[in-house]
Amino acid sequence: MNWLTAALGSSVGKKLMMALTGLAFIGFLAAHLAGNLLMIAGREAFNGYAERLQSLGPILQLFRAGLIGFALVHILTGLYLFLQNRKARPVRYEKDTSAGGRTISSRTMPYTGLLILAFVVFHLFHFTWTDKGARTIFDLVAAAFNQPWAVLLYAAAMIVVALHVRHGFWSAFQSVGASHPKTMPAVMALSWTAGGLVAFGFGLLPFFMLIRY
Amino acid sequence: MNKTINLTLKIWRQKDRSDKGRFETTPARDISTDMSFLEMLDVVNERLTLEGREPIAFEHDCREGICGSCGTMVNGRAHGPLKGTSLCQLHMRHFKDGDTLTIEPWRARAFPVIKDLVVDRSAYDRIIQAGGYVSVNTGSAPEANTLPVPPELAEKAMDAAACIGCGACVAACPNASAMLFVSAKISQLALLPQGRPEADRRALAMVRAMDACGFGNCSNHRECENACPKEISIANIARLNREFLHAGFISHET
Amino acid sequence: MRLDAKIPAGPLAQKWDRHRFETKLVNPANRRKYSILVVGTGLAGASASASLAELGYDVKTFCIHDSPRRAHSIAAQGGINAAKNYPNDGDSIWRLFYDTVKGGDFRAREANVYRLAQVSNAIIDQCTAQGVPFAREYGGLLANRSFGGAQLSRTFYARGQTGQQLLLGAYSAMMRQAAAGRVHLFPRREMLDLVVVNGQARGIVARNLLTGEIERHAGHAVLLCTGGYGNVYFLSTNAKACNVTATYRAYKRGAFFANPCFTQIHPTCIPVHGTYQSKLTLMSESLRNDGRVWVPKTPGDKRAPTEIPEAERDYFLERKYPSFGNLVPRDVASRNAKEQCDQGKGVGDTGLAVYLDFADAIQRDGKATIAKKYGNLFQMYEKITGDDPYRTPMMIYPAVHYTMGGLWVDYNLMSTVPGLFVLGEANFSDHGANRLGASALMQGLADGYFVIPATIGGYLAGTRFEAVTTGDAGFADAERQVAEQTRRLLSIGGKRTVDDFHRQLGLTMWDHCGMSRTNAGLERARAVIRELRAEFWRDVRVPGSAADLNQSLEKAGRVADFMEFAELMVLDALARQESCGGHFNEAFQTEENEARRDDQNFCHVAAWEFTGEGRDPNLHKEPLSFENVQLTQRSYK
Repeated sequence: MNWLTAALGSSVGKKLMMALTGLAFIGFLAAHLAGNLLMIAGREAFNGYAERLQSLGPILQLFRAGLIGFALVHILTGLYLFLQNRKARPVRYEKDTSAGGRTISSRTMPYTGLLILAFVVFHLFHFTWTDKGARTIFDLVAAAFNQPWAVLLYAAAMIVVALHVRHGFWSAFQSVGASHPKTMPAVMALSWTAGGLVAFGFGLLPFFMLIRY
Repeated sequence: MNKTINLTLKIWRQKDRSDKGRFETTPARDISTDMSFLEMLDVVNERLTLEGREPIAFEHDCREGICGSCGTMVNGRAHGPLKGTSLCQLHMRHFKDGDTLTIEPWRARAFPVIKDLVVDRSAYDRIIQAGGYVSVNTGSAPEANTLPVPPELAEKAMDAAACIGCGACVAACPNASAMLFVSAKISQLALLPQGRPEADRRALAMVRAMDACGFGNCSNHRECENACPKEISIANIARLNREFLHAGFISHET
Repeated sequence: MRLDAKIPAGPLAQKWDRHRFETKLVNPANRRKYSILVVGTGLAGASASASLAELGYDVKTFCIHDSPRRAHSIAAQGGINAAKNYPNDGDSIWRLFYDTVKGGDFRAREANVYRLAQVSNAIIDQCTAQGVPFAREYGGLLANRSFGGAQLSRTFYARGQTGQQLLLGAYSAMMRQAAAGRVHLFPRREMLDLVVVNGQARGIVARNLLTGEIERHAGHAVLLCTGGYGNVYFLSTNAKACNVTATYRAYKRGAFFANPCFTQIHPTCIPVHGTYQSKLTLMSESLRNDGRVWVPKTPGDKRAPTEIPEAERDYFLERKYPSFGNLVPRDVASRNAKEQCDQGKGVGDTGLAVYLDFADAIQRDGKATIAKKYGNLFQMYEKITGDDPYRTPMMIYPAVHYTMGGLWVDYNLMSTVPGLFVLGEANFSDHGANRLGASALMQGLADGYFVIPATIGGYLAGTRFEAVTTGDAGFADAERQVAEQTRRLLSIGGKRTVDDFHRQLGLTMWDHCGMSRTNAGLERARAVIRELRAEFWRDVRVPGSAADLNQSLEKAGRVADFMEFAELMVLDALARQESCGGHFNEAFQTEENEARRDDQNFCHVAAWEFTGEGRDPNLHKEPLSFENVQLTQRSYK
C-alpha cells in the first residue's frame, strides 16, 4: 500500500482527501436540510421522519461512524495543511494586498472550519446527546428555538457554514481535477447556490420555529 | 505626457541570508513617468552609490518581461499593481506624485532571501529537474510532422508554456504554494502527444519534488493567476490534479 | 600564424557527412573520463550541455543567472528557420544556405553555412519532440511564416516567444541530464578567466556571485557559449547581464577575435525616450510582414500621424525596394530609417523614429486577425509607451541587437586555443556581416545539438592530455589576476558610477561605430575610448565588498572589458575599408547609398590576436573563397 500512502500523503493527495470528505459533508448537509425542512410541515411529519431514521438502526450507526471518520480526516488533514501553509511563509509581508483572487470565504477556511467544529459539538450536545425525557424531537427543537439567543447563534453558525461551503464546494471540484474552463462558471454558480441554501435553509428554520411555535 | 514625480520608497534591506533585515526609507526624486520600475530603482541606486552607500540589490536581466529574473512585492502586490505585467514592464506612469511604495522581496520558506530583494529560487530548478522534460536524446527525434497536434491543444500548451519562472505565483499565494508554476509545466507536456508517454511519471515526480521544497499547499485562493505576469490560468492546476490523481491511483507508476 | 579553418574537402553538400566520418570517435566507455566545461546556458550552452551529457561526457555547466533558464536567448521573439519546405514554396537546403550567405553579404564561410542549413531540419524535429509548442495549422501540422528578408515561409514559431520556448526545451533537456548526474550545474558563477596549460584550454576561473569566492574548475575542454557583445553600446536589445568578459578574456589568453565590427542594428525597436533609459526593447521583425514603414514627406511635419494624408506620406522602403518592400534585410531597413531621420523626416519627440503602421492591415484582415498574430507585441508596446498601436502607428527606430563578430573558430568550432570551443553568438559565426531574421536560434541550436557533439570527439580522441589539477600554476596565476582586478576596482573610490561610464562609452560607440561609420569618426572614437578608459580606472566608484553579492562590482568588471574591447571594434572597423552588411563606412557606398563591398581586398575574415596590454593587436586574415555562390551586389529592389 506504499503507493497509496505516497499518493494520499502528497500535497495533492491531502487536498483530494479534503475535497472528497468535504463533498461528503455537503451531501450530508443536503440530506439534513431536506429532513429539517419537514419541520415546516409540522410536528407529525418531522417526528415521523425522525422515527424512520432511527429505525434504520445499524445502517444509521454505520453512517454515523462514517461521518465521524470523515470528520476526523477532514479536520486533521485540514489542520495539518493549515500549519504547513503557515510554515511555508515564515516571514509575513509588511503589506499584503489581494491581487483579486482571495475572497472572505477563501481566506477564512481554516477559521470557519474550526468554528463549525465547535458548533457541531455544541449542536450534538444540544439535540442529540441530551436527555430528551418524554419530549419528541420536534418539541425539543421548538423549545430550544423559543430562546432568541439560540436562534441567533444557529443563524450565525449557518452563515459560517455557508462561507465554508461557498469556497469548499468549487474548491473540491478544482482539487479532484474536475473543474474545467467550460464548467467552471456552472460550478461557481452551484457553489454560491449551495452556500445560499445552507444559509437560508438552515438559517431561517430557527426563526420559523421561534415565530411559529 | 512625460512628467516627473517624487516618491518615497520603504524598501527591504538585508545584508545576507543570516541577517534579520529591516525596512529602510529612501526618496526617489524626479522620476520620469516614462521610466520602468527598474529604471526608477536604477536612479535610486546611482544616488546611493554616489552618497557612499550600498545600492539596493535586485534581480533583473532582460527587462522586457520574459527572462523571469525580476520581481518584488510592491505595496503588497507581486510585480506591482498592473495585471499581466512583470516588474520590468511596469512603468512609473501608474504611480502618483507623493506615493509611498513598500517594496519587499518574495517571501516563502522555499525562496530564502539572499540579499535585499534577491531571493533564492533554485527550488524551481529542482522541480523541473525532477521531471519537467520529455526524455528525448538529441538526434533521436522523429520527423516533426509525424505527430499532428490539434492547434487548440498546441495553443493551450503554449498558454501554459508561457510561464517565465519568476516566482510571483508563490509570492502572491497566501500559502506560498508553487502549484501554478508546477501545473504550467505539467500541463504543457501533458497536453502535447510528445509529453504523454511520461505524463504519469512526471506528475508524480514533480509534485513530490515540489512538496520536498517546502512550498505550501494550494487552497484555491486564485491569487496566483491574478498575480501571474503571463496570466497563466488555474485551469492548469485542475489539470495537474487530474494528472496526479491518475498517476497516483490508476497508473502503473509508483 | 596561418589560420586553418579545417574545412573538409569534397563537394559542399558532402563536406559535413564526410567530416563526421573522418573525425575520430571517443569510445563510449571513455567519455565519462572527459570533463567538459560549458560556460553559458543560452540556446548554445544548454543544448551542448544536454547533448554532450547524453553522449556520456562529464559536463560542468556555468551561468551568471540564478537559474539556467534565463539567458537572453529567451527573449528572441520571431522564430527559427529551417529548410523543411512544408509550404511547398520552393525552399531547400541550398536555398537556405544561399539566402544566408547572401544575407550575410558574402562574409561567411560557405561550408559552415551549408552545414547550418543541413542540420536546420533536425533542430525542428528535436525541439518538437521536446514539447516545444510550435504554432500549428488546423490539420495539426506545423505552421510557417515568412520572416525578415525571406521571400518564402520557412520560419517556425511559438507565438512571439519562440526563443523562450526553444530555450526552455534545451534547458529541460539539460535538467534531465542534471537529474541523471551527468551535468553538474553551477549557477550564479561568472567566468573571469580562461586557464591555458601547455597551450591547451584546461579550465576556467569563475567568481561565485553570491559569496565572492574565486573558484577554479579544470577540464579537458572549455566551451564558451556566452553570447554577443552588443552591450558595448550600453543601450541595446540585449539583456543587462550580456557582456564580452568571457570571450574577451579568452582573447587575452590567445583566442583570436574575428570581425568585431560586424554588429547588427535591428530596425524595429521602440525608440529611445530618455537619458535614464536602461535598455531598448525590440519589436519583432515579424511586424514588418503587415506593418508599413513611413515618414512624412515634408521634413519637420509635426502633425499627428493619423492627420497626415496618404499623399503626404513616404513609404520609403516600398518606394525604394519594390520587390522586397518592408521586408528588406535588417541592415538595409535600419540604414534607411536613419537616412530618413537624418533628412529631418523623423517623427516623435526626438525626431529619431519612423512609423510602422498597421492601419491598412487592420482594414484588410480585421482587428481580430492582427491581434491574433501580434497581440502580445502590441500589448508590450502599449505597456512601454502608453500608446495603442491599434489606433495610432507604432514608432520604431533601429537599435543594436546582435553581434556577428566573435571569437574566431574553425569548422570544428574550435578557437585558436586548442580545446577552447566557441558556440552560438559568441563565435564569429555563420552570419557573415549581417544575420538574417530567425537565424540566430537556428545557429545556436545547430552548434549545440549537432555540431559540437560531432566535432569535440575528434579533438578529445586526437589529443594527449597531461594530468592537470586546479592546484596548478596556471590556475593560481589566473586567480591572482582576477583577484587583483577586483581589488583595484573596489579601491578606486572615485566620483563616477559604472553605469555613467558605460553610458558614455555606449554613446561614443553608437555615434561613431554604429549604423554608419567614417574613418574620421572612428579615429575620434578610438581617442575618446582611450581617454575614457584611463578616467574609468582613475575615477570609477564601486561600492560594497568582494566577499558577497555585489552587483556594482560585477558590472564594473564587465565595463572594464568593454572599455578595452570597444577599441578593438573600432580598430577592426578602421581596418575594413569597405562597407558590407552591418559595417557601413560612408566612404564606400553605391550611388543608391547601398553598402559597397570590396571583394578584391576584403573578402576575408579579420581575426585579431592579442599581443599584450597597451599594444596594438595583430591582424590575421582568413581568406574566404566562394566556390558555390557568385558574389553579387545584394539587391532587394
